[in-house]
Amino acid sequence: MNNKVLVIGGGIGGIKTALDLAEAKRDVVLIDKAASIGGLMTLLDRTFPTNNCDLCTVSPHLSESGRELHIELMTLTQLTRVEGEAGNFKVTLKTDPRFIDPAKCTACGECHKKFPECVRFTPGLDHRAPTCMRYPQATPYAYSIDMTRCRNIEALVEVCKDGAIIPDDIAKVVELDVSAIVLTPGAALFHPGILENFGYGKYPNVVTSLEYERILSASGPSLGALVRPSDGKPPKKIAWIQCVGSRNTNQVAAPYCSSACCMFALKEAIVTKERFQNDIETVIFYMDIRTSGKDYELYYQRAKNEYGIEFVRSRPHSVIPVGETGNLSITYSTDQSDMPLKDVFDMVVLSTGFQVPADLVELAGRLGIQLNEHNFVETRSFDPVSTSREGVFVAGLFQSPKDIPETMVQASAAACLASNYQEAIKEADKTDDEYPFDEEEELPSERDVSGEEARIGVFVCDCGYNIGGVIDVDRIVEYAGNLPGVAVSEMVGHGCSREALAHIREVIVEKKLNRVVMGACSPRTHETLFQDTIQRAGLNKYLLEMANIRDQDTWVHSDTPEESIDKAKDLIRMAVSSAALSRPLTDHLLPMNKDILVVGGGVAGMSAALNLADKGYKVYLVERSGTLGGLARHIRRTLEGDDVQRHMSDLIQRTINHENVQVLLNAVIVDHSGMPGMFRTGIQSGPRLAYRQINHGATILATGALANRPREYLLDEHEAVMTQLDLDGFIEDHPDRVKAWHNVVMIQCVGSRCPENPNCSRICCQSAVKNALRIRKLNPEANIFVLYRDMRTYGFQEDYYRRAREQGVVFVRYGLEDRPSVEAGEDQQVEVSFYEPVLGRKITCLADCLALSTGFVSDDESTEDLSAIFHLNRTVDGYFLEDHVKLRPVDLSVPGFFVAGTAHSPKDISESIAQAQAAAGRAQTLLAKDVINLGASVARVDGEKCAACLICVRICPFDVPFINADGYSEIDPAKCHGCGLCAAECPAHAIQLMQYEDQQIMAKVDSLLEGIL
Amino acid sequence: MDHFSPVIVAFCCHYCAYTAADMAGSMRLSYPSNVKIIRVPCSGKVSALHIMRAFQKGADGVYVAGCLEGDCHFKDGNIKAAKRVAYVKKMLDEIGIGGERVEVIRMSAGMGERFAQSAKDFTERIRKLGPNPVRAVLNQRESAGA
Repeated sequence: MNNKVLVIGGGIGGIKTALDLAEAKRDVVLIDKAASIGGLMTLLDRTFPTNNCDLCTVSPHLSESGRELHIELMTLTQLTRVEGEAGNFKVTLKTDPRFIDPAKCTACGECHKKFPECVRFTPGLDHRAPTCMRYPQATPYAYSIDMTRCRNIEALVEVCKDGAIIPDDIAKVVELDVSAIVLTPGAALFHPGILENFGYGKYPNVVTSLEYERILSASGPSLGALVRPSDGKPPKKIAWIQCVGSRNTNQVAAPYCSSACCMFALKEAIVTKERFQNDIETVIFYMDIRTSGKDYELYYQRAKNEYGIEFVRSRPHSVIPVGETGNLSITYSTDQSDMPLKDVFDMVVLSTGFQVPADLVELAGRLGIQLNEHNFVETRSFDPVSTSREGVFVAGLFQSPKDIPETMVQASAAACLASNYQEAIKEADKTDDEYPFDEEEELPSERDVSGEEARIGVFVCDCGYNIGGVIDVDRIVEYAGNLPGVAVSEMVGHGCSREALAHIREVIVEKKLNRVVMGACSPRTHETLFQDTIQRAGLNKYLLEMANIRDQDTWVHSDTPEESIDKAKDLIRMAVSSAALSRPLTDHLLPMNKDILVVGGGVAGMSAALNLADKGYKVYLVERSGTLGGLARHIRRTLEGDDVQRHMSDLIQRTINHENVQVLLNAVIVDHSGMPGMFRTGIQSGPRLAYRQINHGATILATGALANRPREYLLDEHEAVMTQLDLDGFIEDHPDRVKAWHNVVMIQCVGSRCPENPNCSRICCQSAVKNALRIRKLNPEANIFVLYRDMRTYGFQEDYYRRAREQGVVFVRYGLEDRPSVEAGEDQQVEVSFYEPVLGRKITCLADCLALSTGFVSDDESTEDLSAIFHLNRTVDGYFLEDHVKLRPVDLSVPGFFVAGTAHSPKDISESIAQAQAAAGRAQTLLAKDVINLGASVARVDGEKCAACLICVRICPFDVPFINADGYSEIDPAKCHGCGLCAAECPAHAIQLMQYEDQQIMAKVDSLLEGIL
Repeated sequence: MDHFSPVIVAFCCHYCAYTAADMAGSMRLSYPSNVKIIRVPCSGKVSALHIMRAFQKGADGVYVAGCLEGDCHFKDGNIKAAKRVAYVKKMLDEIGIGGERVEVIRMSAGMGERFAQSAKDFTERIRKLGPNPVRAVLNQRESAGA
């Protein structure tokens, strides 16, 4: 049976889709036209809103994706043809020659050192050439060669000691059967050279935001030093110009909003300020600051108030050089000034937006999927990651401009839907030609080594030139052979090769070794492989110790080989001393309960439940109220004009009638225990509050948010005043009354972006535009005023905003210092007064309807209760806090818990559905396993020594230790995260962290310092 | 001691500092080979005893390298490590070894350069301080005994 999914594009979205599918035991072919995966995100220095280093957050995902058994990675590869239909596609893939065998290449860099000209340059400022490895943690970890630039092929081939260079490599074409296709090709960045007024390409100190990111990056052209391109001097004053190539109706630019650039610029300005504080001035020229994501508004406020970043509301006219200084003068005008203003900067950063490049339009043509007017993939409101062709899904930028967390949500959603076309693979059926061992072969039973004297085998890898080229490996081998407890000491050529691993395994069995030390590379990359090897030789995998003599020795001390040899000896000696004390450990395994608890019966909860139920999982759907539907039951239309109620009634009917869904209404959660794969949750439901317990393996929280209804502007006091949600229904139910209106006023940000509710509610700007357009359609004569602070019609919503302006809806900006005021007027009208900045005076309007954009508030009471019961974290404003705001926006911090919809943050229906599909997909990845492996590195308490002093109880970051009935501390291995804080603090040394026991660490210290005194 | 070559123990957390050290490797950034790394899951795993044992056995300097503030994989293990090191510093001052021989260094996993630079800086600092006084005392005793 055809069991593969094709994922096109190896950026962060494609990687996430591939990992999710692989975790759910589906085979994936991940293709990328570039030489390594990673996409745009790996070019970033830091990411908002945490300003974390980017590579550290993404690189584990990249190497995970390189390691994962179910994923076949094909770089330099493009789709050329597709035939067939969902469940049964036949695709043709063409792979360009890399001229290097990634399996042999160790990324030693010799070829580049001798032949830098054959290196492919990365675009923009990244002239550090080394690497057509685009960044230091590239996957695959191998170079590629541009053969057309090479003049002496023979010499180039000669230079590679590992014989990895294939001068006559040719393009390969393969045909594959796949059952589903996911598109995650990303997008291109607008090229600002087309816009002459900003001087990009002419003046070296005008750079794009991505280029600025590279300048800041530690792996960038200036190795992280902020210097301007023209003269290498540190800038003192930098300007950002927003919306370059976006929100622009001229022919070469895009009319939509690119969604991510506001936060991108804020982050760059903040990081700049963080590094240089008062030595640098930062100014952002903007039209609207669109910080509508989760907690993004707080980030904006910090940028303004704490970092002193200056914000100028203006679209600058032009950038002009100041003599030969390299400085740049910006001409602009604002609402407050009649005359054009001028300011001089050392550098100008253009916040360029996203565009769909021509090759993606062609790809869409080959796939036969529809694109929208902007060449992004056409999707439907209630099915946001499905394309017009069944079995073909889209996630990330190619669907619409968006940031990384939204891309991650869609990637998981697409993985969830794509997996419907295959059965999960049983582990036993799985073989992989690339893998050194036959997967079908069962592991030999573990040899009992207790009571044996240590018989340690030391295997020193030469790693080709990487280790062997710097130090004489034989000397290390000889030295190690004389260390106490060492029974065998050997050199292995390319220790991770199939032959070497097979050899190591033989030696372990033959010489009855009971401990193994690998003198090789980093445990971070290769420990699992060597653990697997010793397991296959009948040893417990925790009897392995690695000495990192490559990454932390020969690679960094190649100029002093004697020192390098001494250090290698030290490292091996330390590893041997610790290995002698290592003991067999058992991974904690648990059986998996495959049922799911979904809390919340709104659109997100029902969508998640149905997705899982359709896959055959049993779902318990718990709803607090007496009906399904949640907040969406009160919404009539989306901005795009879709009928929400029709979708809702369909959703409710399907949920109630689905054989795999059990709906519990009027139900509250009262207690909870257990661990992922075997949770037990107590629920009271029905009129008599009957108590029952549900056993489940995963939990999805979709408890929603509340429609905000603050007591402001005569809301609920005057008939003419209503919320946008009220108005949405009113327009549908009373078109005749709408037709009679003369003046309509809308006020934005009522009860949002204020001290009581500091974040942006995200949906109100589109609601206002939606309702304004509907009123305009019914009543072309009415005056419609929208009083706003920033219009946040991100993505394609910008089209509707523009349409509203074109149709005469008047948008008037107000500031917090000058808020509109409302008084009751005559004839069921209200009197709205507001300041008109363009006219420069106050206007009073008698409104027949005053619509307040009140947005959301978190359902504080229920998230507080649930977070107490489930031990979950919340944001300051009462939304559930995900595990990682960038890369794990659906997973909560407690394993086995996932979040969807507005319980996570304000979002619209389409975004809620995407997150619900993503939550279902994430739950599926957990439930695909039959057992849960919790690892073995957990703290263990010796009850005899424990004095119940409570220090461990207090210090544990995860509240795991407790004093048990016997009066000593107990640590549940299933909950322990393995940090070892308790072990470090325990005054009685009653706690040991397995794998890192005190005696092992002490042995390393002692053996390192042996002979010093 | 013109060519004093100190012995330095670096306890590195798996998630950031150890990864940064690997990163320094893949970027081929050289740093003094005096620094020897012991991998721990979290800098908060390093107990006062581990550090004291190193000095007792003759180490000239010890540093505990963990994640940047707010980036700890275990919430605040790195902050707890810093507190513990501050305490050890005081103790080292009291017993005459000197608190400046121990330090906390923070970096993220991508900061290969910072790893290399701090290894250089710390080695230089210890070189200036000279050998661990424990070594000198023992040497004196040895020569007195002989």
